[in-house]
Amino acid sequence: MSAQHKMKDSIPLFVPHSFRTTESNKTGSWRFLRPRYDEKTAPCSAACPAGEDIGRIEMLTARGLFKEAWETILKENPLPAACGRVCLRPCEKECNRREFDEGIGIRTMERFLADTAARYELKPSLERLSSQNRKMAVVGAGPAGLAAAYFLTRLGYGCDVFESAPEPGGVLRYGIPAYRLPVGVLRAEIEQICGTGFNLYCQKPVTKAFLEEIQSEYDAVFLGCGRSRGVALHIAGEEAGGVEDGLQFLQKVNRGEAPSFFNAQVAVIGGGNTAVDAARTVLRLGGRPLLVYRRRREDMPAFEEEISMALEEGVQLLELWSPLRIEGKGGQYLLTLQQMKTVDTSPGERARVEPVNPQTTQELRVLHVIKAVGLEAAEEWQNPPVAQEGVLLLTNSVIVRGSPVLAYGGDLASRIKSVSHAVASGKEAAIALDILFHKGPDHVLPGLETCRVGNGSSLSMEVYMRGPRCARNRHVVTFSEINTDHFQFAPKVAQPRLLREERVSSFAEIDLRISAGLAMKEAERCFNCGLCNQCDNCRLYCPDLAVVRDNGSGGRSIDYDYCKGCGICVVECPRNAMSLEKEAPPQSRRDRREEKL
Amino acid sequence: MQPEVPDRDYMFPGHVGCPGCGAAIAMRFLLKALGEKTVMVIPACCWSIIAGAYPQSALKIPVLHTAFETGGAVASGVRAALDMKGDTETTVVTWAGDGGTFDIGFQALSGAVERNEDFLYVCYDNEAYMNTGIQRSSSTPYGAWTTTTPGRDWKKMRKKNIVEALVAHRIPYAATASIAFPEDLFRKVAKAKAIKGARFIHIFASCPTGWRIPSEISVKIARMAVQTNIFPLYEVEDGLRYTINFFPKGYLVKEYFRLQGRFKHLTEKDLDQIQSMVEEDWKLLLRKAGLS
Repeated sequence: MSAQHKMKDSIPLFVPHSFRTTESNKTGSWRFLRPRYDEKTAPCSAACPAGEDIGRIEMLTARGLFKEAWETILKENPLPAACGRVCLRPCEKECNRREFDEGIGIRTMERFLADTAARYELKPSLERLSSQNRKMAVVGAGPAGLAAAYFLTRLGYGCDVFESAPEPGGVLRYGIPAYRLPVGVLRAEIEQICGTGFNLYCQKPVTKAFLEEIQSEYDAVFLGCGRSRGVALHIAGEEAGGVEDGLQFLQKVNRGEAPSFFNAQVAVIGGGNTAVDAARTVLRLGGRPLLVYRRRREDMPAFEEEISMALEEGVQLLELWSPLRIEGKGGQYLLTLQQMKTVDTSPGERARVEPVNPQTTQELRVLHVIKAVGLEAAEEWQNPPVAQEGVLLLTNSVIVRGSPVLAYGGDLASRIKSVSHAVASGKEAAIALDILFHKGPDHVLPGLETCRVGNGSSLSMEVYMRGPRCARNRHVVTFSEINTDHFQFAPKVAQPRLLREERVSSFAEIDLRISAGLAMKEAERCFNCGLCNQCDNCRLYCPDLAVVRDNGSGGRSIDYDYCKGCGICVVECPRNAMSLEKEAPPQSRRDRREEKL
Repeated sequence: MQPEVPDRDYMFPGHVGCPGCGAAIAMRFLLKALGEKTVMVIPACCWSIIAGAYPQSALKIPVLHTAFETGGAVASGVRAALDMKGDTETTVVTWAGDGGTFDIGFQALSGAVERNEDFLYVCYDNEAYMNTGIQRSSSTPYGAWTTTTPGRDWKKMRKKNIVEALVAHRIPYAATASIAFPEDLFRKVAKAKAIKGARFIHIFASCPTGWRIPSEISVKIARMAVQTNIFPLYEVEDGLRYTINFFPKGYLVKEYFRLQGRFKHLTEKDLDQIQSMVEEDWKLLLRKAGLS
């Protein structure tokens, strides 16, 4: 100790010591590019007809915040349990991860969240506007009507829903077989939606007369009656007793009046989802279904997955044969078919077909015939009017001004007939009506434009209600904008299913639940395109310590006093939730002086 | 997804590194992993400037600025002084650029590690004398333009393999690390800190100014150097046991070269030659690791 002291005293050293930090150097003045947090739109959410915030849903799921994730769905779609089972999944086709390894199982995740919420009987806490002095009537408690009532109620309107069937749900309840959507699941979901606070009146068939009667009571009427009448084949013998309509057949089975087929050969004419559903239902009732379709398999409008499962289960498919006539003979039917050939097969479109020349026919002897070649509105007045003064033709709905205002939605007005498009039409009509009542007809189109998701046609109720989603940039993130260095290959979750043998013998649901662990793992695979998931890369790689944690929306902000604008944070952001833009030129002295004055 | 990152920083903003400076990122990561019980020796290099002019300092730990060729010697002295004071807890770190390590400081470094002095020598490698105006060093890679290898006289010699030179001294620990692989870097620094004796870490730190790249791809380019095998991540214990930490998925070196202005004169043929040189080095490394 003393030796050291002595040394220090005997050798006078001048060592200059720094005593100030570099914080007084405001290196932000060097910057000519400016990074900022800029959340953008994921391609899946722009493709979702209901405009669900899918990237955020997956982010919350990955963190185990299942209730919050479920509520995020409910902001845009009241029917996640149903859509999580039967949606045609336009979102999954646009998933950026498909270019990396495999897309995200978005529908599987939606179903998982809805089932989890139902299992724990969660009650959503959703924003609702204060009640308005207007009343709405909704005709039809199918997906479109329920969605319209749900969104109108959340916008503060009083709503009465009229349904002709004994139970709500429309096509979900009566048109879709239980092996795709179990009745119990649907009932629980509808009960949950009814908790929003609208009145539901079942077994109230709405006729034209009734509609006129209630006119004075309501400010607007939403028509979501769907299409329940089968399109005619226009062939001889089609009217013969016993030739059944596909949808009516499915409705009968769903009401519990299931016939038994005892190994009988049943011809199902058509190639849409109704035809495939009918064929698979026949199979489960003991029959031997034969699908007769005039085009090729790849032209069938039914979902590819449903077709392949149907074939796997034992449904037979007869492609390029079109029915000519049906003759009833002693409890049997003689079906005459003619062979078709394709004449125009442009890729991406359904092939055009015509009969082969010379005409080739074959005869089929079957015990039952079910036709399912398309659907139309049950009554003429249910169809929306064509474009004219006072009629607003929107993407998925038609608004007719008057007293009351008429809104046509669901399958009556959507170009694509699907459950998610029905939800989209209910939402679109609700927003359009709200704008119409508050601001007038001229504001409807521009108003709808402000709540679009990305560049697509889907709308966001959260944006309309001025939620945090408003701040999103409408730019849709592409795969090339994802920094894939920060992701690792991981296989997609495989949807567990019943075995073929288990499927054909009952109406039990085919798709099985996935575990919470699997769901979180799958959600973690999501790129969360355009959304900040607080990975902290921006802060980690900043050479200038200019990204600081704070209480801001993303949990961090950029300290422009020191940010030199190198842009590393923007490039290292794995999901393009940041942008780099030109720095505004510094104010000249004169400008500043003028500003002061 | 989120790496385990020590949250505290031992650096102040306002340092005077260029925008996108890889060396600044490297220093941030190193100090996060070492913590505050650290004394740093900085011989002449970019960081002599980045740390700020007197009376400023950008670091929250004691720093000794010293002459170019003395990194190893001064650290040995600081270690001895601390030992005299009975402080065995504090880590002594030399933080030198490639010039102060590969060229000018090599004898002091070689001497210090030969004596197995108990210190950590970290070289942040930006592949030229960047701070004095981009002059070539023995770390500058084959094919690169610098102000002293301009035009057609681009560097025709290989980059010195400094880690192998240190491994030849049979020191307890030598490793490579990259600013683009923070988890790997944190782990290696923590491991080195716990070892007694001479330790050497070679950190690849990109330089947007000298490499003629846009500053925003600074980290990306460092990552690509690893992905293309140009800068493999590995560690060597006791000069004998090799562990390769990252196995690339077959990116081509030209993807890395194409992005950089300092290589823009190279022809397709040159790039093919470089590709085979890189493959040769990789095979040699695999052999040393007992993997071929």
